Amino acid sequence: MNPARFRVLVSGVLIVGVVTSAILILVGFVGSIFVGWDGSFAGLPVAASRASDFSAVFSGLGALRPIAFAQLGLLVLIATPVVRVATSVLAFASERDWLYTAITLLVLGILLVSLFVIR
Amino acid sequence: MTTGPELGIFVISAVAGVIGALAGVGGGLFVVPALTSLFGVDIRLAIGASIVSVIATSSGAAAAYVRDRLTDMRVGMFLEVATTSGAIAGALLAAVVAPSLLFILLGIVLLFSAVQQVFKLREELPPVAVASPLARRLGLISSYPDARLGREVPYTAQRIPLGFLLMGFAGLVSGLLGIGSGALKVLAMDGAMRLPMKVSSATSNFMIGVTAAASAGIYLARGDVDPTIAAPVAIGVLAGATVGARLLPRLANRHVRWVFIPVLVIIGLQTLGRGLGVRL
Repeated sequence: MNPARFRVLVSGVLIVGVVTSAILILVGFVGSIFVGWDGSFAGLPVAASRASDFSAVFSGLGALRPIAFAQLGLLVLIATPVVRVATSVLAFASERDWLYTAITLLVLGILLVSLFVIR
Repeated sequence: MTTGPELGIFVISAVAGVIGALAGVGGGLFVVPALTSLFGVDIRLAIGASIVSVIATSSGAAAAYVRDRLTDMRVGMFLEVATTSGAIAGALLAAVVAPSLLFILLGIVLLFSAVQQVFKLREELPPVAVASPLARRLGLISSYPDARLGREVPYTAQRIPLGFLLMGFAGLVSGLLGIGSGALKVLAMDGAMRLPMKVSSATSNFMIGVTAAASAGIYLARGDVDPTIAAPVAIGVLAGATVGARLLPRLANRHVRWVFIPVLVIIGLQTLGRGLGVRL
């Protein structure tokens, strides 16, 4: 992979992440104005939940709740830098730049440890 | 629910996004005080929203900076080893270290750096230097297209061990105190490693998202990220960062400092204030 394609790839990952999250958050935000954060686009009864509780995100999506769309959008936003680092590992490897493949793998490892191990 | 406060949060976040994209920092320095003092948001949720704003500034601006070759991805990846491990060390130390003295020290460092920056206001590009063997080994020699000067500007990273050390410190501080490591990153790249200002800012922007994502898991688990507040912040910051990222290539390196110095002064005063128990 030449440097120009590498840049297009990394930039593309960031753009896809940012646009996807922005659309999801906007859907949730606009929806909250019409049916309320805990309402439902499908007209289901209002669910009393804590907005900052992300564990209900998928059941909330099933019920088409604005809060769940915003939560998913925020999760996509937070995941974007992690995906960007993971993509860079592959890109450096395909360039056969083993020094930077190792450096980037190290960063990815540290990142995953801090995300999932340290509490 | 009315849409009044959300509109205000959106506008302030958009301004934070523009300035953050230009100066290489996340928008936390504007978002947190605005949310707490103007909109009465709990400080815990305001900090949760500011983590989101840092990631939004970073990804929103870096998408353009990477494409425009302003971001030095090798410098960024290499230094992320220092910032992410520093951030973990800081998060672990946070339980044992009393932070008030650290806040005071960091505040003084930032204000001192702001004064130092004033003396560099007339410098458009760092003096040309010979690439060190380490810079060659690590591939930290590059160039960027300067739209303002209308030419390709070559540069090489200098004093790499010092820059790496300062980056570890930046990570440590952000993990320990939960504040603006972006300013310290720009200072390390501009001051220690002598990268051109626009490259420093764009590379800092590229990096702060990773540092923030590393701690975002902790904030999510604690329930500090409230979408009803973070959603308008994220949308506003993304819009602002997109605009800022279009401005930076056209600005002179000197002009970027005009944005960066007030940012340094504000963060410096806020940090000092926290150490002294005054909330600014």
